[in-house]
Amino acid sequence: MVWPAFALWPAPAVAAIVALTLPATLSAAPFAYITNQGSHDVSVIDLASQTVVATVAVGRSPAGVVASSRAGRAFISNPDSHDISVIDMRSQRLVATLPAGDGPVGIDASADGQQLFVADWYRNRLLLIDPARPQDAPGSIALGRAPAGVAAHPDGRTVFVAERDDDSVAVVDLPSRSVRTRVAVGSHPFALLLDVPRQRLYALNVQSNSLSVITLQDAQQPTVVATLQTGNTPYGAALSADGRRLFVTNQHADTVSLFDADSLQLITTLTGFAYPEGIAAHGDAVYVVNWMDDNVSVLDANSGRLLRQISTGKNSRGFGAFIGAPLPP
Amino acid sequence: MITLPSPALPARRRAALLSLLSPLLPTLFSPLWLPGAALAHGPTRQKVVEQVSINAPAAAVWARIRNFDALKAWHPAVVESPADKGNEEGSTRQLTLQGGGTLTEVLESHDETRMRYTYRAKDGGALPVTNYSSAVSVKADGETKCTVEWRGAFYRAHPNNDPPPEQNDEAAVKAVTGVYQAGLAKLKTLAEAR
Repeated sequence: MVWPAFALWPAPAVAAIVALTLPATLSAAPFAYITNQGSHDVSVIDLASQTVVATVAVGRSPAGVVASSRAGRAFISNPDSHDISVIDMRSQRLVATLPAGDGPVGIDASADGQQLFVADWYRNRLLLIDPARPQDAPGSIALGRAPAGVAAHPDGRTVFVAERDDDSVAVVDLPSRSVRTRVAVGSHPFALLLDVPRQRLYALNVQSNSLSVITLQDAQQPTVVATLQTGNTPYGAALSADGRRLFVTNQHADTVSLFDADSLQLITTLTGFAYPEGIAAHGDAVYVVNWMDDNVSVLDANSGRLLRQISTGKNSRGFGAFIGAPLPP
Repeated sequence: MITLPSPALPARRRAALLSLLSPLLPTLFSPLWLPGAALAHGPTRQKVVEQVSINAPAAAVWARIRNFDALKAWHPAVVESPADKGNEEGSTRQLTLQGGGTLTEVLESHDETRMRYTYRAKDGGALPVTNYSSAVSVKADGETKCTVEWRGAFYRAHPNNDPPPEQNDEAAVKAVTGVYQAGLAKLKTLAEAR
């Protein structure tokens, strides 16, 4: 689907028109949901047309995001209004707002899309939220200081949370609702990325400019098996869709490090970004969110070459797995 | 993005703007909080991007600001700005401000080709911010003009919910904006002086 004329229109107008004209059974093309912390909205990019097809007003200062294809919803964490905005992937409309502690930041969803895991930055806890039952008080599991990135294992038993100010990753046991163990990593881990086929978790250490590679082969005691040097202030990571390449955004360096995911060797360092933060991959492309320039850089996943840039709202972050496609009914 | 007054602005008005800002500068840097008070920061990073167009060649303007320790020569609120390792990565700059405030900043990168350097502050210093990082760069606009950009990323001073007014997001943005505008205005005046 292509919307050539819309590219010149102001985003709110586009959102209004899309909301009025999109059929209920939109094809299952993937969308990227980019949180804009400065304009309090989400830019929805249709990856087929590579254009912003909707701008959805959400809560205050949206930061975290998980686009759950299974749920057909994108869940957005709003740290300043202390809630989660729920966007329907077919209508691209806000369909619910869920209370979420004092400072929701990192967010992930269970594989079946029925449970949300949200780091509550100010209250040092993981919130368990059932989006179908917003009237229920969220479940809560105590964590270390400044919990940030969240990654839910598809086995449904384990959730990992970066405890930024404790320099550790909490391994949360869901059946017992407690921290099973902790893994010491570098200084100030913020984002996490699961690599399920390789049984690995990657933790990005913002202050020590490194990436901790954690093996999950022993579910009871994950351990760090390698520490990779990144650029200055690593903030986000993504694997290419084929799993072969690992991309890391380096915020202060304005670069993206590109690693071979098997050998963990650095292939190259890409330049030309502006406070790059969130990153996610789909198909043959990788999408890098530039917080300083308010846009998304689209890269060729093999070469890292810049294909195009797509303007977003203000202070874009896209912290989390921001790409999803609604499953056919 | 806020842009400084264009070169077409009469000198009289530019001078008036500067004189308006000058008395504000000591308060912009007033030491409201203690360094290292908190590890955590507020959830919402803020940014300020200020630009000024200067009627002077890019190389000449870059020559004025390229040295990390040169800030005192082009910022009206900075009294001293020695840097212990010059323009080497990791060089630490100790700012002394009018009114007595201080700031400690560490050089993160210095790129002669791009005419740009980046740095971060230790502990927020005398601004109502935390986790502050910044970049200064010069871009040529033809042979005789250039644009200087000063941009910063930071969190408000208050690390938790419900900040007092002097430590909220707006206060942080206002303070950093004031610092950048004052510096760029003086740089423009210096570089265009005949």
